[in-house]
Order: sequence, then C-alpha cells, then structure tokens
Amino acid sequence: MKRAALILPLLAPGCAGIQSANGRDAVQGALIGRLFDVFLGVAVVVYALVIVYLALALLRGRRHRRRESGLQGEPAPSLERPWRIGLILFASATALILFGLAIATWLTDRALAKAGAEAPLEVEVIGNQWWWEVRYQDPVASRIVRTANELHLPVGQTTRLTLKSNDVIHSMWIPNLSGKQDMIPGRESDLALHPTRTGTFRAQCAEFCGMQHANMALDVTVESPADFRRWYEAQLVPQPAPGGAAAAGYAIFQNRQCASCHAVGGTPASGQVAPDLTHVASRNTIAAGALPMSRENLARWVSDPQAVKPGNNMPKVPLSQSELGALVAYLETLK
Amino acid sequence: MSLRFPEVIAAMLMLAATGCHRESRDYRSLALQAQDRTKAFGGNAFHLAQGQRLYAWMNCAGCHSHGGGGMGPPLRDDEWRYGGSLPEIVTTILDGRPNGMPSFRGKITEDQAWQLATYVRSLSARTREDILSGRADEPSNVEPPVLDERKPVRRVTPRQDDASEE
Amino acid sequence: MKRPPPYLLVILAVLVLAVAVGASLMAAQGKPAQPVFGQRADHLAALPGPTARAQPASWFAAPGNGEWTAQLGDPSATRFSPLGEINAANVGSLRTEFTFDTHNKRGHEAGPLVVGGTMYVTTPYPNDVYALDLTKPGHPIKWHYAPKPAQASQGVACCDVVNRGAAYAGGRLFFNTLDGQTIALDAASGSEVWRTKLADINKGETITMAPLVAEGRVLVGLSGGEMGVRGSLTALDAGSGAIAWKAYSTGPDADVLIGPEFKPFYPAEQGKDLGVHTWNPDGWRIGGGNPWGWISYDPELHLIYYGTGNPGPWSSLQRPGDNKWTAGIFARVVRTGQARWFYQSSPHDLFDYDDVNESVLLDIPWRGQMRKVIARPSRTGFFMIIDRETGQVLSAAPFAHVNTALRIDMRTGRPVVNPAKEPQSGRITRNICPAAPGGKDWNPSAFSPRTGLVYIPHNNLCMDEGEVQANYIAGTPYLGADARMYAGPGGNRGVLTAWDPVANRAVWRIREDLPVWSGALATAGDVVFYGTLDGVFKAVDARSGRLLWQRKLSSGIISMPMTYQGPDGRQYVAVFAGVGGWSGAIVSGGLDPADPTSALGFVNAVRDLIPRTDAGGRLYVFALP
Repeated sequence: MKRAALILPLLAPGCAGIQSANGRDAVQGALIGRLFDVFLGVAVVVYALVIVYLALALLRGRRHRRRESGLQGEPAPSLERPWRIGLILFASATALILFGLAIATWLTDRALAKAGAEAPLEVEVIGNQWWWEVRYQDPVASRIVRTANELHLPVGQTTRLTLKSNDVIHSMWIPNLSGKQDMIPGRESDLALHPTRTGTFRAQCAEFCGMQHANMALDVTVESPADFRRWYEAQLVPQPAPGGAAAAGYAIFQNRQCASCHAVGGTPASGQVAPDLTHVASRNTIAAGALPMSRENLARWVSDPQAVKPGNNMPKVPLSQSELGALVAYLETLK
Repeated sequence: MSLRFPEVIAAMLMLAATGCHRESRDYRSLALQAQDRTKAFGGNAFHLAQGQRLYAWMNCAGCHSHGGGGMGPPLRDDEWRYGGSLPEIVTTILDGRPNGMPSFRGKITEDQAWQLATYVRSLSARTREDILSGRADEPSNVEPPVLDERKPVRRVTPRQDDASEE
Repeated sequence: MKRPPPYLLVILAVLVLAVAVGASLMAAQGKPAQPVFGQRADHLAALPGPTARAQPASWFAAPGNGEWTAQLGDPSATRFSPLGEINAANVGSLRTEFTFDTHNKRGHEAGPLVVGGTMYVTTPYPNDVYALDLTKPGHPIKWHYAPKPAQASQGVACCDVVNRGAAYAGGRLFFNTLDGQTIALDAASGSEVWRTKLADINKGETITMAPLVAEGRVLVGLSGGEMGVRGSLTALDAGSGAIAWKAYSTGPDADVLIGPEFKPFYPAEQGKDLGVHTWNPDGWRIGGGNPWGWISYDPELHLIYYGTGNPGPWSSLQRPGDNKWTAGIFARVVRTGQARWFYQSSPHDLFDYDDVNESVLLDIPWRGQMRKVIARPSRTGFFMIIDRETGQVLSAAPFAHVNTALRIDMRTGRPVVNPAKEPQSGRITRNICPAAPGGKDWNPSAFSPRTGLVYIPHNNLCMDEGEVQANYIAGTPYLGADARMYAGPGGNRGVLTAWDPVANRAVWRIREDLPVWSGALATAGDVVFYGTLDGVFKAVDARSGRLLWQRKLSSGIISMPMTYQGPDGRQYVAVFAGVGGWSGAIVSGGLDPADPTSALGFVNAVRDLIPRTDAGGRLYVFALP
C-alpha cells in the first residue's frame, strides 16, 4: 500500500494546472475525458473482479489439493458445471463489455466530429523549429493577425486550427483542451477546439522535432468574446517608429541583424522566418514558453539565445551593454 | 570459453569507449575562436547544415538558385571570380563585391557568414563527403547539388597570393 | 519427370513467341524522329474579310518620313511600318548592309531608333547610347553618351541587365538606366539635358523599360517585382525632368491616384483602399506590381494604358487577398495621372503572370458597331479584347496552351482558377501551363492594318512550381518559389501566331523550337519579321506565314526589329543580335544547366541553347541589293 501511495505525487502535475492531461476545459477535452472515465470505471470493475477470481482460484486450488492428498476420490461432480457456466458467463461478459466500449468510443468520435463541424474562427498554426507561427484568418485580408507563440481563443465558440509545418513533424497538444494533432510538412491537418472555461493554459509540441523540442510551448489564453475582440483589434494596430527613448533601440532593430528575420508591423522590418514581434511585449512568455516575459528575461534572451535554448536558430548577436539596454527598451514598447 | 559477468561488463565498456566520437554541435560558434577557422567550420556537419538553412532564409537562392545561378553567377562550378577559399567567400558575403553581390554585414552575424560559406563550398564538391548535407530543403526534390568530381579552382581575376585549396 | 502434355507445350511456345515479337518491336521503334520546327506555318482558319477585320485606331498615323521614333512604332503599339519597298516577292534577296558591335555581352532587348538621318542605339548595362550618322559612308559614330550607372545595380536586376530602349520626342532622346535614372539627351549633340533619379537600388529597385512620351510627360515605371519592390509609375516633365505625378501600384487610394474619376467596370475593383485591404497587413508595402512593360496612349481620350507586374513574393500563400492593384491594366489620364479604370487579369496571382504586355489600340467591329478596344496577348495566355473607354472585357480566348484558368468569367471578368493548379506549401504543383513567362512575355507583337492580324511572338512552356516561405530583406530577392520549365504540348517551346482579334482565334501559326523572345515587325510590304533565340532572323509572308527569307546572325535575337528609310531613299531593316534576357541568361550569364531551377526555372527549358549561340551584341542592318 505504501509503495502504491508513492505513485500518487507523480500523477499530480499531469492531472492539474495549466497543462493538465486530464483537463476538461473544452468540449473536445470533456468528451474524451468522459470516455476516459467510462473506460476507467469499467476497467477498475473488471480488474477487481479478476483479482477476486484469481484469489478465489488460488484458495480453492489449495483446498482441492489437500482433499486429494487425503482421500482417494474424484472431485464432486457438482464442481464441474459451475466452472463451465462461469466460463461462458465470463466470455460473454467480456464480449459485451468490449462491444459496449466500442460503442462508447464511436459515440465520442461522432460527438467530436459534430463539435468541430462549424467553426466561426479559423486560425492557421505553422510549426517551425522551435516556435509557432499563428495566423488568424479573416475574409478581409488586411484583418489577418500574424503572431507567434501565443493563441487567444474566445470561450464558448468553436475555433478550427489548421496545422502546417515548415520543416519537420511537430504536434500541437493543448492538454487542457483537446488531444494531439500532428503537423506534417507538405500536409494540412486540423484541430477543432470549443473551450468551456476561461483561463490560461500551456500547449506543448508533442512530436520530437529536434534539440529544443522540450522548449517549444505555446501560451493559450481563453477569454470572453468581448476580451478576445479587444485583443484582436489591439493586434491589428501597427507599431510605427517611436520617438524619444525608444528611438535608439528602434534604429538598432532596423539596421542590425534583427530585421533580417523578424517583422514589426508598421516598420520596414518584414522578416518572415522568425516570430513576428509587433506586439511581443503583450505576451506572457518569450522564446516559445522558455522564459516568462520580463525586462530581465528579454535582455537575457536577446543577449545570448544560445545559452537559453542551445541550438535554436537565433544567433548570438554581439551587442554592447548600452545597445542591449536600448534594444530591450524598444522591445518593451511593442505592446 | 564461457564468459563470466565481470568479463562481459569489461568488454561492453571497451566497445562503448571506442564508438562514440560524435561530432560536436557547435552551438556557441566556438569555431570563431579557433586557430584554423577553415577547418573548424569547413569540417563540421552542423555548420554546413545551418548554412543550408541560411542559404534559403537569407535569399541566396533568389539570386544563385540552388547553385546554378540566375541574377548571380553559378556556385556549383569551379570558377570563382573573387576566390574560392572559405575566408574569401566569407569576405564576399560580408563585404559584397563590385558587380552586384550585396554586403550582408549587419544583416547576419559573422558565424552565420562562415556557415553560409561552408555550405556554398559544398555546392561545388569542395567539402568532405561525410559532412555533406543529406537532404535538399527544397520542394524540387533534386539531389543535393554538387559537382561530380572536384576540379581545381579557376580564379577569373588573377591574384598574387593564390590561396591553396584543401 | 513426367513429360508435360502437348497443349501446355503449345501455350508455352506461343507465349515465348509473343514476348520475342513484342521485344523486337519495341527495340525497333527506338526514339521518335525529332520534328523540325520553324520552317512551315500551320493553317488554322481563314483570314478575316475586309468588313470583319480589325482596324487601327481612328486617329492612328503610321510613322512618317520613314522614321522610327518609338520602340512600339507609334502610341497605339502596332509596330507597323508603312514602308513597302521590301515585299513578299523581293525579301528573299535581302542582304546585310552593315553591322555595328556594341562590345557588350549581355542581353540586347532594345531596338534602334531612326530620326532625321541619325540612328540611335542603346545598350544593356552600362546603358551606353550611340548616335550613328546614316548620311555619311561607313555610318560613323556621331556621338556617344555613357551614363555610368552604379555597378551594384547589376545585382538587383532579375532577368539580365537589359534595357528596352529609348524614345524620341521634340528633339530629345529619353531613356532609363539600370540604377533608376531617367535621362534626357539632346538628340543632335548627345549632351545631357536633365537626369532624374527615380529608384533606390538598395531597396531592389531598377529600371529596364523604354519610356513613353505623351502630352509633355515622360512616363517611367520601376522594375523589381522579384525584389519586394512596391511598384510605381512616374510622369516626368519632358522639359525639365521634374516629377509631375507618381502613381503607386499598391497601397491607399491616395498613393495609387484613385479618386472621383475612377470608374472600374467590375465590382471586384470597386471599393475604398483596396490596395491595402486586399493584402495581409503591410504586405502591400513590399507587394510588387511594377509597371516595367509597355505603355500605350490614346490622344483622343487622353488616356494611357499600361499593365502592372506580378505581386511579391511569388509564394502566394504569404499574401492572401486579391493583391490589388497588381497584375492588371490601368487606364490613367496622362496629364494628371488619375486612374480612370482598372482590370485585374490575375487576381491573387499564383504564377508570376505580370500583366505588362503591350496594349495594341484598335477599333474592331463588335456586334454591328465599331468599338474602341485594347487588344492584348496577355501573360495569362489569353488574348484579351477590352473596351478602352470602360475597361469591360469583350472577349478572351487562349492563344497559348492554358490549364491554370478554366475560362474567363464574362460576368465578373475574373479568370476561373483551376483548383488542381493551386499551390500548396511544401509541395510541387506540376504541369502548370503557361509557365511563369506566360503565354507571351514582354516581347511585343505587331499589327498589320492590311491583314487585320496581330502577329504574336510567344512561348509554349509549362512548369513545375513549389512554394516555400519567402523572407524579406531589402535589396535581396523576395521570392519563395522553385520552378522548373519545359516545353508545352507539341514539344516546341516557341510560336509565332497570326491572330484575328475580331473572331478572337488563330489564323496561322509557326511552331518554333526555342521560345520566341524577339519582338515582331509588320510592314506594308506584307512581310512580318521576327528572330529566334538561337539567332535566326526570319521574314514570313503576312497572309500565309510562308517562310520567305532567313539569316543566321552572330547571336540569339531577343530584341525588336524595326525598319526605316535611309537618306538614300532605300528601305532598311535593322535588328540587334545579342542573346540574354530571362530566356537567354543561360548563355549571357554563364549559368549552370545542372541546376534546373536556375534563372527562376528557365535554364531547364533551354539547356540546349549553350552550344547553339554565343553572347555578344551586334546590330545588323539589311536592305535589298
């Protein structure tokens, strides 16, 4: 019993919090969770019955052998029939239970498909080594929001994610909301989400994709539709060149290596191969969830990305202390 | 002969010791501090692979295609206008050249330029085969482009100190 | 072993015999014989009768005094000469009168101009201008002007460092340099009158086009659709070189000079700031739409017609939306630049279908009455007849093999895109016809009022294309696509088609082995001149397409032939040999055919050009003996 109890703390991180595999904070997650409960319940009952049966078999067998060594007689004929009936009952019960579980699975699958049928919000998520590009679709092309490493979803509405990859196979997994879906280069897959409670969650890449696979996380914020609209409109606002204190950092950003890969809307920097930084300061984390957002962490990341995520594609740009300070001050204005 | 447990362990340890010279992935570009940068960058598969990605990201493919040329001259052949040694290619990339090669100083870091130069040299079979890239990161499904056999470098504009090739 | 039954032996013998016969048949077949292209015309339809024939515009005046003052001949872009001394009967005896070497090994796309006994010649980078005195024996150089454009501009020119020629007006010669300057020279002395800088090569901008002079304005468009350049057309004052107006091809209406006069015909073109809202945010700032091609001018309506180039990047998945105002035709009031109408021939262009080809201004009989139209062999492979007052598409028929669009929807004017040819990221789409150079690229066609036919020198190319993510770094290419071109159906890579714009169908067609990259010239002698990529200059009968005369020149021909009357009263025909351009870059740039994606995929289509021709610019002038 003591040994069994040791397992419980291991279960806890996986079963609670912002990255909970048992999370039921979306319709999809809840459906799968319900199926999981059915399976768990059935399995526990069957397991208990099997253990009881095994115990009985062991005890009975011992008594049977004692009787045999003492007397010389055949086993009572009444013992055979119960065994036979038991066997038939057991086999049919197993078949019925399995069939029932299959029906339950099929019903869950149908419910999942129905839940994702109509999606008023479409988002494209493109996996890169080791960051996520997120593009919200809109029939008016100029209202498309391009961001990185974060996903905002309105609660109570279905969102369809179209998943692609630019290099190797990644996998989108938001444990609280839904199951995993692979992102395969050259193909498009999709994932429907219908969150049912607000909150912040953490998604994780679930297919080994290289050295920094473990550090490829995504912040998912589920908020009320009004808050979501507010966030969306804020994302559409460009960031023209600032004056004053941030101007020095702006000049460094535009004239040095930053603009070769990153983009900031409203400025000449239109690099496409690295996360869009137009509203980077409004995010909760940087470097795909590797560090929480703060001035110190921004400085730490920009000054030496290889120390934080060794092997990732952002080079260590040689910057003096004052240059670093100016650049971080500019990045902090990109709310 | 029958093996006993200690002998088996000893044999396994010896085998393990011999097999694992795995090439270093030089994430911090310590190769920049090396005495012989040509060898440190030019003999490293990680730098070549990163160079291949940078070749697409920095739009080298837009002018030079996949080594065949276009706006810029071909890179797959043995003809080098400004020199075909690794340091000379790095200079070409960082400083630009008179007839249209733009300068990438300030657009990429120095170690990225060395990585690019390593990849560029591999396009004309000037690199050891064991560090060559194994896949072409392009949808055209062609083999990684290399010359069939190495030819001596032809310098189009002659210079006094002709750098020797490895 | 028991002896097998007799019937099994018979079956076995029959099988062995069948295999043997089949194998020997296959071996004997070998490769099919290589067809010979370029020597015969295929007859497809009857010539139009006199009442059903296209006419030049009512105000049309062919070049007078035997002169040639513009690359397209006249503002309605007919490339027609009224000189008739050389005709179908005597062209067979044409011989070389003189040649002029430019000592320049890049692609020569420009043709010479002849005004008042002087011939004016422009070269590719470094864009030298020569004036040859035709009145003196030996045609000595009267003056030579060297603009010395920036060396670095060679690195931002997508398709060889070409120049499409000068324009003459009011005693001045106007031309553009690769590094983006428009220069006006005094035609008599060669001295510089003014020079205006319009482009910044650090942003990838260059200029290769021939300017158009109309109503005191010199019209110049930028190049750079492959470099993330935001396209624009500028009108300079012909007297001073000051900028009169500038119309961008993307962005807010104020930048595109779209105002209350703008009345596009189709609903998709109507709306506010479409140049912003049909792009992803900020996409229009690096969106292309460069008007690097031909401009026509209607002096009655006071309108200019020109096309805008491809949107950038080539990778269409990165720029959702219709991408206005790229890949379409603008009609603008020439003095103010205000847009009158716009028609987008390739909304959300997927295949680099720049719409910069020539707009031939014609009057055609349409359903009982004469209609003022633009006749355009478009990059999309469709021959478009568009009303030049309103922008309505009257007719569209494919003149090349097209599978990217199922048809043009006449209600909306939009092409119906073939869903099988839509790109997907990371995957190759195969057999896209026409290929990126289109059914026809920039090289202009010619129209003969005597036959009513438009003579289209064009391509028959298809391609495979794959899209990858493009990255934008100013001054470097903004592409995101790998392409590989090859011959279209039939195996010939080029065609000269004689097209009837009224019936909108081909009348006859000469299939050429190589893509035809030269312009066409039609004369009153009922002869049509054009040249091939490996240097054969040809004269064919304007009515039947019969080959009348040909001569192999020292280099491939990608320029525009012209004809003039010399001071001695004789008719001369002049053409530049000098392979290069996008099609001939494999020779002029020394590219490597082992990489099929070189030169944006063109190298794969013309690998055999290397042994067939050399680079080197030389002007040939022919006349009757």
